Amino acid sequence: MIEIRGLGKRYGDFTALHQVDLAVGKGEFVVILGASGAGKSTLLRCINQLAEPTQGEVRVDGAPVRRDRAGLRRVRRDVAMIFQHYNVVPRLSVLKNVLTGRLGSMPALASWFQVFPARDIAIARECLRRVELDHKADLRTDTLSGGQKQRVGIARALAQRPKVILADEPVASLDPKTSRKVLNYLRQASREDGITVICNLHQVDYAREFAQRVIGVAGGRVVFEGRPDELTDEVLQRIYPGGLEPDPGEPKEDAALAAAHAPALPPVQQLALEQP
Amino acid sequence: MIAIGRYNLLIARSGGNPGWWKYLVAAAAGLGVLWWAAIGAQVSFGELAKGMPWIADFLGRMLPPNWEFMGKLVKPAIETVQIALWGTLLAVVLAVPLCFFAARNISPNAAVFHAMRQVLNITRGINEIILALIFVAAVGLGPFPGVLALALHGAGMLGKFFAESIEEIDQGPIEALRSTGAGPIQTIVFGVIPQVVTAWIGVIVYRFETNLRQATVLGMVGAGGIGFELVGSMKLFQYQDTATCILVIVVMVMTADYLSTRLRAWIQQGARS
Repeated sequence: MIEIRGLGKRYGDFTALHQVDLAVGKGEFVVILGASGAGKSTLLRCINQLAEPTQGEVRVDGAPVRRDRAGLRRVRRDVAMIFQHYNVVPRLSVLKNVLTGRLGSMPALASWFQVFPARDIAIARECLRRVELDHKADLRTDTLSGGQKQRVGIARALAQRPKVILADEPVASLDPKTSRKVLNYLRQASREDGITVICNLHQVDYAREFAQRVIGVAGGRVVFEGRPDELTDEVLQRIYPGGLEPDPGEPKEDAALAAAHAPALPPVQQLALEQP
Repeated sequence: MIAIGRYNLLIARSGGNPGWWKYLVAAAAGLGVLWWAAIGAQVSFGELAKGMPWIADFLGRMLPPNWEFMGKLVKPAIETVQIALWGTLLAVVLAVPLCFFAARNISPNAAVFHAMRQVLNITRGINEIILALIFVAAVGLGPFPGVLALALHGAGMLGKFFAESIEEIDQGPIEALRSTGAGPIQTIVFGVIPQVVTAWIGVIVYRFETNLRQATVLGMVGAGGIGFELVGSMKLFQYQDTATCILVIVVMVMTADYLSTRLRAWIQQGARS
């Protein structure tokens, strides 16, 4: 479903991706693991062209992705995206947010005046039912909790009737229980609808639990590719060269570590580290 | 730090650099500029004092205001409100399509962005009275040139405010909409407008208030409204009528100010709940 060959992305002097090759099949649930700044987000954004690759080729469903207007519209209609910060429009109703997933496939002129085909409304309602939010359809989206907003994000993605869903750290801002629920909806989409799911995560636990295949990314390169049960300590060492990020259960260690390192750095350098 | 007797003047560059004489030079230069400007503007408190009896005489002629004249002012006052209303409406109609090009985060490219900013700067830079003079010359005396003047100047103002509020929105939903394959106008309708609409309404209400205030003086250059009566009464030395005009204008402006403040507070509240 997705073939990536020799994909590279540079931001000025900084190379975010070096020559990435990757193939993902139809209906596969792939998790991309990697530390912050490893290039996971850039990789996803190069697939639906939210970021313009500096080199290499991306193919979706056999056809190469082009950057002209029609090409962009095509790939973005086929490839839906889910974001860490949900990116739902706060002042629109839940249903309308889901309907925005249909915008690429409905008559543009009517949509400017908020006129939607009945078929698209039916699809949107159906997608809301699948994430169990149909009773919230008419509420303003900013009245929802974080987990509910992410479910709206998933419904919006499903409403696109996509071939691929890209999920960029979809559960990074959610608690463990809600996270599992959200990932379950994604797994359902891949199993029941045959949608290819590529999901960026940084929690190894979830990768083990949900992934059919894991891609490890570090420093803009693919450093591991394999089944979740192949995620040994040695592999994790490769994906997280600076040491494994702590589990959510033991954040104290991390804080202590940060505290131990922080005073050693002059303030300017610290700032530079925070804004890579 | 400069010690003045037992007191220390804590104006100093960080690091305690003893460059206090620089401040002395700057202060002297500042006073020099003010002196120079006073000569040019002929600022003279002596003249003001000498003119006091004349001011008192003028005020004396204005009092008491001619209440009879009030009846004649009803129509021009309503006309003023009508000018402000259409001036604001046309300004909004002009500003809305322009503002998207003048917002850095939505504008298709940098050249369009800078060009549109300059267009807005120019229309905003020319005062309403000057625009009214031009339009009076172009389309003749009456309220309509006033409407056009307010529309053009207001478009520049509103366009800038609209564009700035677009630049402040959360970029995430915009990116999400683009990723669904939505077109540029769909992205604006579903991603931008819902995020800016309350801010825009607040600005429009404020603009209406400003336009009403401006519309009261547009008549001075023949562009309709109550200002026309004001100037007319002064030319005929009917200072009691002038006083009535001024009172009506003050009441109109205060009412508009009060209503617009209340309305904007109400909108802000509505946006939060």
